[in-house]
Amino acid sequence: MLGLRCIVGDVVCGGLLRRTCLRLPPLPQRCFLSEGGSGSSARLKLRTRLLVSLLFGGSLLAGWRFVYLEKQQRQRQIRLDQLRKVSLGQGTFSLLDQTGRRRTKRDFLGRWVLLYFGFTHCPDICPEELDKLSSAVTALDQDPLLPPVQPLFITVDPQRDDVPALARYVQDFHPRLLALTGTPEEVQHAGRDYRVYASAGPKDDDGDYIVDHTVLIYLVSPDGLFLDYYNRSKSEEKIVESVKNHIRNHKGLDQ
Amino acid sequence: MSAPNSSERKACWDSRDLLWKCLDDNGDRAESCLKFQGEFESNCPAQWVKYFSKRRDYLQYKAKMETEGFKPAEGPKQPS
Repeated sequence: MLGLRCIVGDVVCGGLLRRTCLRLPPLPQRCFLSEGGSGSSARLKLRTRLLVSLLFGGSLLAGWRFVYLEKQQRQRQIRLDQLRKVSLGQGTFSLLDQTGRRRTKRDFLGRWVLLYFGFTHCPDICPEELDKLSSAVTALDQDPLLPPVQPLFITVDPQRDDVPALARYVQDFHPRLLALTGTPEEVQHAGRDYRVYASAGPKDDDGDYIVDHTVLIYLVSPDGLFLDYYNRSKSEEKIVESVKNHIRNHKGLDQ
Repeated sequence: MSAPNSSERKACWDSRDLLWKCLDDNGDRAESCLKFQGEFESNCPAQWVKYFSKRRDYLQYKAKMETEGFKPAEGPKQPS
């Protein structure tokens, strides 16, 4: 940088501004000194200048990277705190699975869970979403480095979806799929925990009805924290990718 | 009355798709597709027939919105 100023100073001094230059003695004098000196001392000055610049630039980069990583960590923590505040899935549920065995929220701690609320009399949406869920879990199973993900189905139609109904229903999907039901109060409690909307429609002559409900697949972490959700438009590939990312980052936060 | 299993669901969906294809080919004229309508209604629970009919109306409406655009309803005429 000093070199540049010397050149500029020389040009300026050489021109019409000679009188002004004389009023600023230090700069031209220093330039004459370095110009007048031997070639090796000029090269030395250049080398030290380069070294200083590199060190300065390097430390700038390192500082910037440190700040960037800190920011990423802080953002991750903020998001986690936000999710905790929303506190979906913080409660406990106690339901029966398709073999009649009682399962509570506690049973699923330590496992990654993909959770879907639906009902067995569903015309198309629930089978499609459960197919997608099953394929996603199968795809995740292929990776030996990942922990096994638990697919979970909770009914929003406890009046009709009893234990035998669930046992029949799960046969069409992933072998590890667990389906849960219970009394209307128990089911409502679980649904409320995830702020699931469910509303049974009018019954027809057969007593058949359709339950309008939130269509979402929830991702729950091993410490029972709701981490993410996937709607109808998320493809199986996107879900697999997102779950993998969450698993990787989750480990990172614990370190 | 238990819920349809996987093969029953598929039978219902297939007959629905045949009906819808017939309707698409015949400009939505129900009279031309009575046979498919009958198949569809016998393969699917009554609730599903209603549900899928509404779904077809919705899908057609959605397609119309995407191609022709949205025309807001005319409000009350303002006095000039």
